[in-house]
Amino acid sequence: MSENLKLQPIQNWLKKNNWFFYDHQLETLNQSINGHDILLIAPTGGGKTLAGFLPSLHDLINNKFPVNKLHTLYISPLKALTIDVHRNLTNPIEDQKLDIRVETRTGDTSNYKKTRQKEVPPHMLMTTPESLALLLADTQAKEYFKFLRYLIIDEIHSLVNSKRGDLLSLNLSRLNNISPYCKRIGLSATIKNKKSTLNFLSQKKNSKIINIREKSSPKIEILETENRVPWSGHMAGYAITDIYKKIKLSSMTILFVNTRAQAELVFNKLWQENENNLKIAIHHGSLQKEIRRKVENLMSLGKLDCVVATSSLDLGIDWGKVDLVVQIGSPKGIARFLQRIGRSNHRFDEPSKALLVPSNRFEYLECISTIASIKANLLDEVKEKEGSLDVLAQHILGVACSNPFQVDDFFLEIKKAWPFRNLKKQIFLDVLEFVRNGGYSLKHYEQYAKIGINKNNFYAIKNKNIRNRYRLNVGTIVESYMLKVKLGNRTLGQVEEWFIEGLNEGDTFLFSGRVLEYQSITNNNIIVRSTNSAHPKIPSYAGGRLPLTSELSFQVRKLISKKEYWKHFPNQISDWLKLQNKFSGLPSVEGLLVETFPRHIKNKKRYFLICYTFEGRNANQTLGFLISKKMQRMGYKPISFVATDYALAIWSMIEVEDINVILNEDIMLDDLYEWLEETPLLKKNFRDAAIISGLIERTIPGRKKTGKQVMFSSDLIFNVLKKHEPNHILLQVARNDSYRGLIDLDRLGDFLKRIKNNIIHKRLDRISPLAVPLVLEINRQTIDKSEVDEYFLEELENEILTEVGLN
Amino acid sequence: MKTLNFCNHGLHICKEGVLFWLEKEIAIVSDLHLEKGSSYASSGQYIPPYDSEETLLKLLDILNKYKVRKVILLGDTFHDKDAFLRMTSKVRFLFEDFTKKYEVIFILGNHENKIKIEGIKFHQEYIVDNIHFLHEAIQKKINQISGHFHPVASIKVSSKKITSKCLIHSNNHIILPSFGEFTGGLNINDPVLRPFISENYNIYFLTKKSIYKFSNKEIESQY
Repeated sequence: MSENLKLQPIQNWLKKNNWFFYDHQLETLNQSINGHDILLIAPTGGGKTLAGFLPSLHDLINNKFPVNKLHTLYISPLKALTIDVHRNLTNPIEDQKLDIRVETRTGDTSNYKKTRQKEVPPHMLMTTPESLALLLADTQAKEYFKFLRYLIIDEIHSLVNSKRGDLLSLNLSRLNNISPYCKRIGLSATIKNKKSTLNFLSQKKNSKIINIREKSSPKIEILETENRVPWSGHMAGYAITDIYKKIKLSSMTILFVNTRAQAELVFNKLWQENENNLKIAIHHGSLQKEIRRKVENLMSLGKLDCVVATSSLDLGIDWGKVDLVVQIGSPKGIARFLQRIGRSNHRFDEPSKALLVPSNRFEYLECISTIASIKANLLDEVKEKEGSLDVLAQHILGVACSNPFQVDDFFLEIKKAWPFRNLKKQIFLDVLEFVRNGGYSLKHYEQYAKIGINKNNFYAIKNKNIRNRYRLNVGTIVESYMLKVKLGNRTLGQVEEWFIEGLNEGDTFLFSGRVLEYQSITNNNIIVRSTNSAHPKIPSYAGGRLPLTSELSFQVRKLISKKEYWKHFPNQISDWLKLQNKFSGLPSVEGLLVETFPRHIKNKKRYFLICYTFEGRNANQTLGFLISKKMQRMGYKPISFVATDYALAIWSMIEVEDINVILNEDIMLDDLYEWLEETPLLKKNFRDAAIISGLIERTIPGRKKTGKQVMFSSDLIFNVLKKHEPNHILLQVARNDSYRGLIDLDRLGDFLKRIKNNIIHKRLDRISPLAVPLVLEINRQTIDKSEVDEYFLEELENEILTEVGLN
Repeated sequence: MKTLNFCNHGLHICKEGVLFWLEKEIAIVSDLHLEKGSSYASSGQYIPPYDSEETLLKLLDILNKYKVRKVILLGDTFHDKDAFLRMTSKVRFLFEDFTKKYEVIFILGNHENKIKIEGIKFHQEYIVDNIHFLHEAIQKKINQISGHFHPVASIKVSSKKITSKCLIHSNNHIILPSFGEFTGGLNINDPVLRPFISENYNIYFLTKKSIYKFSNKEIESQY
């Protein structure tokens, strides 16, 4: 430890616990003392959080600081994380009797405590981006943050390039004006876009990245099984017995799945296997908060053997005793999987241990690619996003609530927020007018403007009521309307309204690890009772189905096209690819393999067209629509299509002759706009933008609007605006979000460029081995209770395999 | 258009929700809620102000297709008592066009409490051939056509629910759906509506493309 650092109390405490400083912790401290803003990129574990706090602790221990002023602000994306970090930091402070007060402030903090925190701030405050926005909208904000010396942003990678990140970055820019000498430290997991993340944190010239590589690379294996890996499906039923054996051998396992429906099903199946009565719990975003907290608590006490979880456990919290991470289904992205692996062995320098369980054959290839990519230190690219205008609208009102502003100064401040660096003045002025009075240039609206302009050209809110309403509408997360699931007097959790609309009285579904029977809806509660039904309907949530990233998609194509890799595959996989090669051909890295073949559906001859794009479900879905539109115009009579992460299958009444005529770059121009305007996604994004921007309020003081009311009116507004103001700010936001989001337009554009003059069309007389999973997917959609009864599929699978000659 | 038999008169409903009594050259329409959009501005919610224009253009367009002399508006034509004052000149022009072209009967709605507009007379009710035109249905055995409730129904089609405006026809009662661009709806199963619907009734379910008639049995089997 270098001489000039005085950190005796912290060192004493570490010594007591037989711990020591890591090099990167001291480097962070040194660089910060030298005046640098720092982005610390390190794998999970290894004392990243302590590294972030060291400079601040060092300053408070060694330098005088006014009492009752805020010294350090810590921002994390998760409330739970603020509480966890608070606990971890309080340990050394109390142990060494340091005079440092640390407190948390989130949406869950009591009003009493919030008021006290405003009057008497702690030295260190741990909060979320939303709570920071609220603090900065206070009239006393300038006074409150004036003495701020350190700002720490945890898990910063999960905030950049999102609307939450946009909001945070606007407030960072504001903080920079209030306390220009405050030093910043960002903590990030391993990421590809390092430079832009640093810019997001700080645009000071001497800002720095400290990049720590994992000391030992994680040990990742694919589950070895005697059983056959199925051709299609997402539930990995074949592997449950093997997984259970692994859980028995470990002291604590987290079992990650990709959707809440998967979580429920896997949990259910594990309990059917659970002859040793292991303590197995479930954790996902729909479950009641208390239930989730209970599971988290039991985990941190080491009282559980296994937790089945969705991305709800992805981020940050320190689960010391987890020694095995199992991922069911492909993780669909390299960074996401690394984050999940990081949940194991959080504390030690030993390698993390993880087990991948592909749920079908394509996923097997994905899993192999994921492991290879991690070994080669490859990471997914994140597309940079421009700051969203709906978030800007919310921020403008927030600032006006805090104190009067002048347009030019304020615009400069906004431009300093990294995502808004390219913002044009005119657009800013349009958004400002939109916030002030709706922007319709009508006298009646101006009369009720929220923000007025005084003689000196200062903008300020017109009354206190506006501030109160702003406080109720802050934030960028718009949740779908949820209904509580009630079993007797107990609340088990919440499900989206649309899910229940698909249920009839007496239908059963899996939730919170039980089979429940739907009885009725009373006062916005879903009344259920327990049942022993063996064939539950499953909550199939739309969310959580994450598309394959471009990087992984490239790796999978590489893997398939190079035969020399295959010798490492298990026989069932390499045999499958060999047959495909013999029977048809293999997808290439840069080109596109298209297959056409006839097949009977319900005794009618149909023609199948399969494109092996590997571009992810969303891009394939969009492509599927565009191709079938074009086929329709050309008279091929397409019937329907199915899109997976890997391929697109379209079937029609007439055989397609020349695929090159259909698949060219023009296809994007022809029907895309028309389709986009009709898609429900655009309406949903518009609704979110309308709420974030404040056009529609989340809540009105004294009366909570129900989700349905908001939904209803936003659709009406959408239709009217589309007709009268097609370029309205919120329509722009909704379109951009849709392009970027599920529709994946950029990716589709890149794809079409890539495959130009590089399409291999194989005309087959029957289905190919690679197409089998897709055709199974098609049949799956027409079979009732499809996700539950994989037995149906086995039968069907055998039929098709016999047809291909594989059985 | 679909025909319904009401008190031995043949009435026609179009998919947009206007009821025609063609024999008398009368059109009946309810709950335009003009200037609903701009009414939120005073509470700081800047809902787009284009709903009145949309509503009036749509109405004029439909009326134009048939031989209509008289239009009965079943109340809540204006969203609030100041709605008329807030109309833009374009909307006012359309409105004057409408009132000049037709003999318009204004029934007073609950949203129009204390409303005063020069040249417009609001009626509590209006009677033609023993049929009472009202804003809100009453529990009396009279032949009545009313609005007020903005009825909608939900129909399940292959596990998806479609919700849309509907007209309720029950014996000597007709309840018209709302016509205004920004108007929401009340489900026909809502207890508030029950007293005004007899045991047997039909609904005319209005979608963008067409009109579907369902009996109460078909509706009840949905739940």
